[in-house]
Amino acid sequence: MREGSENSLFALFIVFAPLSLLSFGGGNAVLADIAQQSIAHNWTSEREFADLFALSRAAPGPGSMLATLIGWRAAGVPGALVATIAFYLPSALLIFGAARVWGRWRGSIWYDAVERGLAPVAAGLFLSGGIVVLRASPAGWPVWAAAIVTTAALLRWPRMHPVPLLLGGGALFGLVAVGT
Amino acid sequence: MDRVPGNPPDPTLPGPISLARIFAAFLRLGCTAFGGNMPGWLHRDIVVRRGWIDDRVFLADFAMGQAIPGSNGIKLTVQIGQRLHGALGAAAALIGLLTIPFAIAVALGALYAGFGEHRIVHAMLDGVAATAIGLTFATGLHSAVHGSPGPAALAICAATVVAVGVMRWPMLPVVAVLAPVSIILALINGRRR
Repeated sequence: MREGSENSLFALFIVFAPLSLLSFGGGNAVLADIAQQSIAHNWTSEREFADLFALSRAAPGPGSMLATLIGWRAAGVPGALVATIAFYLPSALLIFGAARVWGRWRGSIWYDAVERGLAPVAAGLFLSGGIVVLRASPAGWPVWAAAIVTTAALLRWPRMHPVPLLLGGGALFGLVAVGT
Repeated sequence: MDRVPGNPPDPTLPGPISLARIFAAFLRLGCTAFGGNMPGWLHRDIVVRRGWIDDRVFLADFAMGQAIPGSNGIKLTVQIGQRLHGALGAAAALIGLLTIPFAIAVALGALYAGFGEHRIVHAMLDGVAATAIGLTFATGLHSAVHGSPGPAALAICAATVVAVGVMRWPMLPVVAVLAPVSIILALINGRRR
């Protein structure tokens, strides 16, 4: 699986850099492509890909550190580094340029209207993201219940740090699984 | 058009925030942001806890970022870093954010190679994911109330939820339709005031 590590480093870059520029709507938009490519290049099996995906959800960090995990699986630490940079840097540079251009209009009527107009759309996207993930979860109603309880707690105590809640959620579900 | 030349300082900022503080804040975010919902964590830490930028600016950056490909957490990190301290701020925020997750991902990969999978581990991951979604909801509700108040904004927010969350239409065309409508409504409301 790890034949010719220079080759796989190059292949990782060639695969992940274009995906960075295709992931409209967030990293999950190209999830299916990442899966296909990493299986086609023999970086992971199907089973391993599913497990690495779950791991990337449990790990801290942006969207998924899935690219990092696949890069690591394909070519060790250099592979992890190449895949991470290839997947994140192109879109970071693009948004940086766009933000600079946008900043020149600060103070205009348009700038103000765009900011006020985009806010409710963004809030709706947040809520939708949560709903979509919950509907896709195989674990059913307990996941909805835990999500709603957490929402209420965070709205009631806005300055509370969410990590204890996450650990509590993980421990609770783990205990239920032990008991059944 | 009352366009201001150059980049005037952002009036919503309390004052310049040092590169070291930006790096430290994002380093900490990198270690604590579990569950793959980076925008929610950024909102909680940078907007709600630290007050470095306000709800409206955060949401506008998030929504505008939808036109640019890439992970939403990464895009927001670059945008916030740039607002706080220019190009160096963006670099400090991005490197701060990625350093520890990178190390943890490699360590987890190594652990996985040793352990494979367990039923109990999967259940625990489900529990973590569920609470992480609670954070997403809290961010959305907080933003819907504070970001842009008013019945028109609430209607736009509800329409977005129905289209993307319930009907599962693709995000990009939905934003391409609702964003201009919402901006025009904001423009009309602003004139009236």
